Amino acid sequence: MNQQATTGQAFRATLKRDLIIAYKRKNDLVNPFMFFLIVATLFPIGISPGPDRLGEIAAGVLWISALLASLLAMDNLYRSDYEDGSLEQLLLSPHPLYFLVLAKNISHWLVSGLPVVLVSPLIAYMLNLPDAAYAALFITLLLGTPVLSLLGSIGVALTVGLGSRGLILAVITLPLSVPVLIAGTLTVQETLNGASLGGYLAIMGAMLLAALTLAPLASSAALRISVN
Amino acid sequence: MVAVETESGLAETSRLTMLNGESLFCERDDRVLFENLDFSLREGQVLQIKGSNGSGKTTLLRILCGLNDSYEGKIFWYGDPIEEKVEQYYSSLIYIGHRVGVNKVLTPVENLRWSCSLQQQVADEEIYAALAKVGLRGFEESQCFTLSAGQQQRVSLAKLLLSHAKLWVLDEPFTTLDASGVKQLEGWLRDHADKGGAVMVTTHHSLSVTDLQMLDLG
Amino acid sequence: MWLWFSKLGSPKWFYELSGRWLPWLVIPMALLLIVGIVWALLFVPPDYQQGNTIRIMYIHVPFASISLAFFPLMAVAGTITLVWRMKLADMVAKQAAPLGAWFTALALASGSIWGSDIWGTWWIWDGRLTSMLLQFFLLIGVISLRSALEDTDAAAKACAVLSIVGCINVFVIKFSVDWWNTLHQPAGDFSLSDEAANPPEVWVPLVIMIVAIYLFFAVSLILSTRNEILQRERRAQWVQELVEGH
Repeated sequence: MNQQATTGQAFRATLKRDLIIAYKRKNDLVNPFMFFLIVATLFPIGISPGPDRLGEIAAGVLWISALLASLLAMDNLYRSDYEDGSLEQLLLSPHPLYFLVLAKNISHWLVSGLPVVLVSPLIAYMLNLPDAAYAALFITLLLGTPVLSLLGSIGVALTVGLGSRGLILAVITLPLSVPVLIAGTLTVQETLNGASLGGYLAIMGAMLLAALTLAPLASSAALRISVN
Repeated sequence: MVAVETESGLAETSRLTMLNGESLFCERDDRVLFENLDFSLREGQVLQIKGSNGSGKTTLLRILCGLNDSYEGKIFWYGDPIEEKVEQYYSSLIYIGHRVGVNKVLTPVENLRWSCSLQQQVADEEIYAALAKVGLRGFEESQCFTLSAGQQQRVSLAKLLLSHAKLWVLDEPFTTLDASGVKQLEGWLRDHADKGGAVMVTTHHSLSVTDLQMLDLG
Repeated sequence: MWLWFSKLGSPKWFYELSGRWLPWLVIPMALLLIVGIVWALLFVPPDYQQGNTIRIMYIHVPFASISLAFFPLMAVAGTITLVWRMKLADMVAKQAAPLGAWFTALALASGSIWGSDIWGTWWIWDGRLTSMLLQFFLLIGVISLRSALEDTDAAAKACAVLSIVGCINVFVIKFSVDWWNTLHQPAGDFSLSDEAANPPEVWVPLVIMIVAIYLFFAVSLILSTRNEILQRERRAQWVQELVEGH
């Protein structure tokens, strides 16, 4: 009866566990999302409420807000597991760590990245984003925020053992995120200029694929180092 | 500085050596924790690691589990270098450290479902049965932050009952347990060893098991 | 080959060998530096467009070109640290990071001074300056991660991972910033290819300066690595003998 679990089962169990934890800790679920809304609100207040000006910067504002929200949410990806010893159990699993880390990253994106993507059209409307850019913005955020999560995961894994890691995490992670930010905002802008979406999305898709294959490997290595 | 002695003369030579280490060396912050440390652990044996605070007991256990790789020397699993048998080794190993690996917002059942599933398939009935055995009947569905430290420790110990792992590596498992819990755990260690499993445990408690080996780190 | 490799990994061996190499690096460096600076400042004819400002190029281009070498260097050292656990590689990587930050900062500063004259502004979001700035941030990230982790071994490995990730990222950044820049504002550009058309009296001192700065980099790295070796191996017998001998 007690058979070895397959890697797929371990993957699903990890995904499910993290989703349950997120559901039970609703604060962690809501805070990044609220942070996104608040940051996006600060721009019209700080820059100008004029519709034309806002429309011009809307895509960038949404992308930067999403980037900051993702950074803020990253910290609880491994922290409680590190503190209560679950991380050690994860590392002692006979299954490839790559898949378990991937499961954690996916569940983290589902609870912190996806809500931001889903609400982005609403904020885009409030920021007067031109109609033609909605689809591009939504799709680039959908492809880009997982990359942000995967990259952030490396930074968190490297710093999870540190006492105060908020700032150092930002210093490490934000420069890493620049290419995604560039790809995301440029795609939106070029769509507005009349370019076709396909080629740009291919670049973002390639980024996502590269991040999916490489980032969990780096995160795994970093976790082993941090637990050491 | 390192003394290894077998207390039981009944050692059966037919039993295979499960885990052994050769000339292990570890230093931390410019201080040598241990050097030239040899040990071997047979099936059916309990290896008790003793030593004062800071003598490297926990470090040794973590090294053996592959959680710490800043050491020199060789470790073998059934005669093969451990790096070559990682998957097999991890399928046969349970480690319970100071931080017991129990998430506080999850219930005991949810915790065990996850941590067991990393190794093997476990049915929910088994989990409930194991929790009853460790004295947590009635707490199955309460979130773990409502439980005491001893009860959380018991949640992690329930894993020992659920798992088919041959090697148990336990770091100070007795500290938070009450008298009856200590007795119960001791019984499980004895049973596990008698069934051909092996245990590595750090404690100052004197254990009553059939085949006990001591390793003193000074 | 393998023997050589493991021998090179021994800090003591490196210390002794580098001690013997140093004069052979320092003397040419000093000569080239003097010749290059004097030539660039006094004898190169003023540019027909930029006038005397062109002389900043002789500082900026060498620093900018060597700055690009830091992440690949640290990534290679990091890989060696992770795979072969060679302590020397980490000592080099540790010293390379702050050195890289200084070189990158100098490249940025000299670029900005140059720009203040030819663009009329101290800063412009030019592709090269932007990716250089981001590389500077990444280097600061590596340095602050190193200083935050107390355990030497953990810091070595963590920085190794970050350097490898950072190295890949520097290339992606370079590519994406160029792309971003061409789409936004094709700015005034000063590339070496423009200079290639120039007469020898312009580019020969540039080559001399580049070689001199490369040597300067090598000497700085070796000197600081030697300090790091003494620091980390302070309990080794040969270090104690060395210290007492002086």
